[in-house]
Amino acid sequence: MSGRSGFWTQALAIAKRDLLIESRGGEVFGVVLPFAAVAVFVVPLATDALATRLDQLAYPVYWLVGLLFGLQVALRQTGTETMIQRRTLALLGIDPAARFAGRSLAAALLMTGVMVAIAPLIVLFYDPRAIPAIGPSLLAVVGFAIGLSMLSTLAGDVTVGLRTRSSLAPLIVAPISVPLLIGASQTFESLILDRSTMAPALLLTVTVLSLAVTGVLTAPALEDATT
Amino acid sequence: MTKRMVLPTLSAAAIAYALWLALDSSPDVFQGDFVRIMYVHVPSSWLAFLAFGVTALGSALWLWRKTIVWDRIAEASAEIGVIFTALAILTGAIWGEPVWGTYWDWGDARMASTALMLFVYLGYLALRRATPDPVARAKRSSILGLIAVVQVPLVYFSVSFWRTLHQGMTVRPDGIQMDGSMVAALLGGLAAFTLLYLALMVERVRLARIEDANTLSDGVAAGTAITAPDLDGIS
Repeated sequence: MSGRSGFWTQALAIAKRDLLIESRGGEVFGVVLPFAAVAVFVVPLATDALATRLDQLAYPVYWLVGLLFGLQVALRQTGTETMIQRRTLALLGIDPAARFAGRSLAAALLMTGVMVAIAPLIVLFYDPRAIPAIGPSLLAVVGFAIGLSMLSTLAGDVTVGLRTRSSLAPLIVAPISVPLLIGASQTFESLILDRSTMAPALLLTVTVLSLAVTGVLTAPALEDATT
Repeated sequence: MTKRMVLPTLSAAAIAYALWLALDSSPDVFQGDFVRIMYVHVPSSWLAFLAFGVTALGSALWLWRKTIVWDRIAEASAEIGVIFTALAILTGAIWGEPVWGTYWDWGDARMASTALMLFVYLGYLALRRATPDPVARAKRSSILGLIAVVQVPLVYFSVSFWRTLHQGMTVRPDGIQMDGSMVAALLGGLAAFTLLYLALMVERVRLARIEDANTLSDGVAAGTAITAPDLDGIS
């Protein structure tokens, strides 16, 4: 890969590398996804079937599982770069912003896959009162996945090489991801209630764009800090 | 009085005066004497916003100038901001029970977003604790310091974005909807807490400088302990 290649060429090459590692290791779809399915299944078991209305829990459980297991996808062991890998990429002249974009893109694709896969389980086990229109809902899920993957990539990079990384990165991501969660879940709610989705969709879009700008602008400093 | 004691003494005097203003002000028509808690709660919240803003500024200046003092300022301000945020949450809960009938309401946007802001900065401090090397610590935490500050406008404008339990802004560009003695107590509290913030900042930055000097001198001590062997008299 030449240092003179374009931003998107580098970003796509990094994303392709991450997806290739995932296809070989199968951590997301072989481990994280089944674990997420178990989590979806455990909630009805842990609640009193006579006293709890599961249909009301459907979407909160969906977004909660999406957030927690989305974090697992973004911070997966097989997707973690070692210091040597990071230094090699830096020496090869890879644009740190392209690295951030590529890693976020790969994580967003995997995260969207997990969230799409658990959606039928939510419908099956929880029988929600209404299902929002598929097209706009998918857009909300994709927006959420892109935002969470960028945030997790940033947090993963900030904590790379630390002994407490596995607990510290989620501690950083979870509170900051709230605007994403509100934007995406309120979009669903608005679609179900047939209200305007403008405000939540705008919140989601602005948050995703802010994270993209922050990620690109801080990428060189972050590379300097962690190589 | 030494120069070092000027700010702490001033802040102590200001806090005593603010307390007198708070106790001397008129009770609220609806809240009664419970309104006096607001003279601690509101300045605590404002100082938390200021402290986290200073953390972001210190982080940005560290990234730009790479001068360690900016990292010390960012760290000190974050620690003090966490204390002020916790104080704001605590006083808000104490006030909320008699006035709203509940210590805490998860459905309230201001309460929930303030709690999340606290967690974000606890994460910031945890990141600093987890990174022993001072330069690596400064580099990593400066980036998080810049990202974390997005919580501040979110918390501040939460009462405008979402109409939940927490009341809207009392102090607005078009004026303050309060009695004169209440305004005096509020501004007195704000001035006193600002002086307290400055006094704590100066002391915490001084402490950070001593910690850094200690870390460096530890390194020197270990270095001088290992010297070349004395071979005099050995044939």
